[in-house]
Amino acid sequence: LLNRLILCIDDEELGLRVRGMVLERTGYRVKTATDGETGLSFFANEAVDAVVLDYFMPGMNGGEIAAEMRRLHPEVPIILLSAYINLPPEVVHMVDCTILKGEGPETLLSKLREVLAQPEDEAGPEAVR
Amino acid sequence: VNLREFRRILRQALFFPVVLLLLLAGFFLVQLGRFSASLRTLDRTDQITTEFVGLQKLILDQETGMRGYELNGDPVMLAPYTAGMAPIQNTFAELRKQLARDAAQEHRLTALYDLYQMWLARSRGMIAKDPSLINNPQIHEQNKLAMDNIRDAVNQMLANQERQRKALSASAPELEHREFVSIFSAALFIGLAVALFTRERLRTVSNSYNVALEELEQRSHEVHDSRQWFRTTLESIGDAVIACDTQGKVEFLNAVAVGLTGWTSQDAVGRPLSEVFHIVHEETRVVAENPVEKVRLHKKVVGLANHTMLISRRGKECLIDDSAAPILDESGEMRGIVLVFHDVTEQRRTQAALIGGEKLAVAGRLAATIAHEIHNPLDSVTNLLFLLRDENDPAKRVEYLKTAEQELGRTMQISRTMLSLYREPKAPVSVDLMDLLKGVLLLLERRIAQQEIEIRTDFSADCIVEGFPAELRQVVTNVLVNAIEAAGQRGRVRVRLEDAPAEEFRGAGALIEVADSGPGIQNGAEAKLFQPFFTTKGEQGTGLGLWVSMGIVQKHGGMMRLANCEDDGYSGACARIYLPRKTLASGAPTMSA
Repeated sequence: LLNRLILCIDDEELGLRVRGMVLERTGYRVKTATDGETGLSFFANEAVDAVVLDYFMPGMNGGEIAAEMRRLHPEVPIILLSAYINLPPEVVHMVDCTILKGEGPETLLSKLREVLAQPEDEAGPEAVR
Repeated sequence: VNLREFRRILRQALFFPVVLLLLLAGFFLVQLGRFSASLRTLDRTDQITTEFVGLQKLILDQETGMRGYELNGDPVMLAPYTAGMAPIQNTFAELRKQLARDAAQEHRLTALYDLYQMWLARSRGMIAKDPSLINNPQIHEQNKLAMDNIRDAVNQMLANQERQRKALSASAPELEHREFVSIFSAALFIGLAVALFTRERLRTVSNSYNVALEELEQRSHEVHDSRQWFRTTLESIGDAVIACDTQGKVEFLNAVAVGLTGWTSQDAVGRPLSEVFHIVHEETRVVAENPVEKVRLHKKVVGLANHTMLISRRGKECLIDDSAAPILDESGEMRGIVLVFHDVTEQRRTQAALIGGEKLAVAGRLAATIAHEIHNPLDSVTNLLFLLRDENDPAKRVEYLKTAEQELGRTMQISRTMLSLYREPKAPVSVDLMDLLKGVLLLLERRIAQQEIEIRTDFSADCIVEGFPAELRQVVTNVLVNAIEAAGQRGRVRVRLEDAPAEEFRGAGALIEVADSGPGIQNGAEAKLFQPFFTTKGEQGTGLGLWVSMGIVQKHGGMMRLANCEDDGYSGACARIYLPRKTLASGAPTMSA
């Protein structure tokens, strides 16, 4: 489970940095990006195991980024992490789960474990990569 | 039947009887003439008879005298003879004249005269002692014969006269009868003619009078019906209606008006409008302008000022919305004034509820924004605490703690801003508009950043006005959010704040101008922008933002306008808000957010 590569995208730099530190401390490998374009180019080229995505960002918002990611690699789980309460339902349906910012690192870590556990059971595509 | 014909008939009814009566009078005159002529003839016959009697006597006297003279030769005896000479001649002349028209009698008269002349000639001869006569033994015999002839002639003439008179007298009753019959029948005929004609004419007049009467009655029914119809219609109108004359005296009020004013129709009619329709300003309670004066002056429909409150006879108050219009007759003369009004108290309550709803919507949106702002630092803080738990490096722990403190500070700041938004003073306070604008922009910072909007600010310092800051902040937020939404991704918004010097119709104050690079106001939308429930944002908007904003600005004595901007780079909508330095708003805010 550990040693997986997590891509974090958030325009809030401080929050992104601290989140990255928490994930690294837990044992994940972390790649951070402060905007959608940077994150997507990384996502396209690297074998990312999961994405932690902010919604409300300048440029592309979380919904647009998630849609693009689903187009590229639909199997990669996406967690939408946002401070925004009224997320559009179509975006909520598209991602694996949503977490409200401030719910604490435990929630994030457990959700992350959950979404990473599912492809582990099926094993197939992950093993090929 | 018109008046002219009516007069003609009356003239006929008078004229024809008069003419007929004149004809009758003429006929009477003719008859009378004839009657008197017959009477005159009778008179003349009598006169002639008298003359004949006189003549006979004179001739007999003459003869008697003559005979006496013959017997004794005494000339004294001749006196009657001489005396009768001239009267006899005169009587003959007279009779000749009288009998001029009676040929038979005249002829006899001539014969008589001849006989008399013969006797006279012989008598003259005897008196003159004519020997041929005196010696004629038969002379006396001849004289006597002559005289007998004369006497016979006279007697015959008298008999003739008597016969004539008798004939005349005999015909008189018949004539009289004829006269009577003809006069009576003429009178009867003319009387009947007059009666029939007059009756016929008068019947025509009476018929036409009846027709006119019926028409009049029908018309009066119609007028009554239409009056009743209009009255019922006015009575049934859902709005209150008061009609008054040009002097402002109440003439009519319908049921709704009776209900609202508390005046019964009976009591109100004839009273001055200002007494029945007692209106004051809702807030100042100053007596409102009498609409009658205004209508009389302008001769057109006028609306009442806003915030008009009607106080009923029993002191019940209600807010009304109304209009007053002149009642013009066909020639355009003003006959009176009609007031139409309705109770808007309930409507106002609904408006207040709507404003409350918008207030909640604004609060909700603001809460979402604030939650977003707070959750970001909160997220960092929880993560930092997680890291702190297992961190043994003191330097790192200090760093984490410091960062967490910073983030908490940020949260505090946001929370404080929020509180200041909602802490509303009871009375207007000085508001630094630059601070206010900066505060709102700060709140919207994230949104602006997300849409990558280029904000240009052009603030002049010291624009301080009196007012309720939270309300003004709501207005500015509303206008700015609209501009940001309109500008769209990577749009531009320009915010200006400047002093507004006093002008003719407004005092000194400040002007806030927000222009955007969006599509501008669609054609036709201008008029509706400030109406409640008008929105161009579909499900996203309540349609109350600008309406509430307008209310707030107006309450402050300011003005708000929306137009399309023509400046370079800001070709979208442009909102201009003027706020006076001294506010008109007082007391607790009624439309606060």
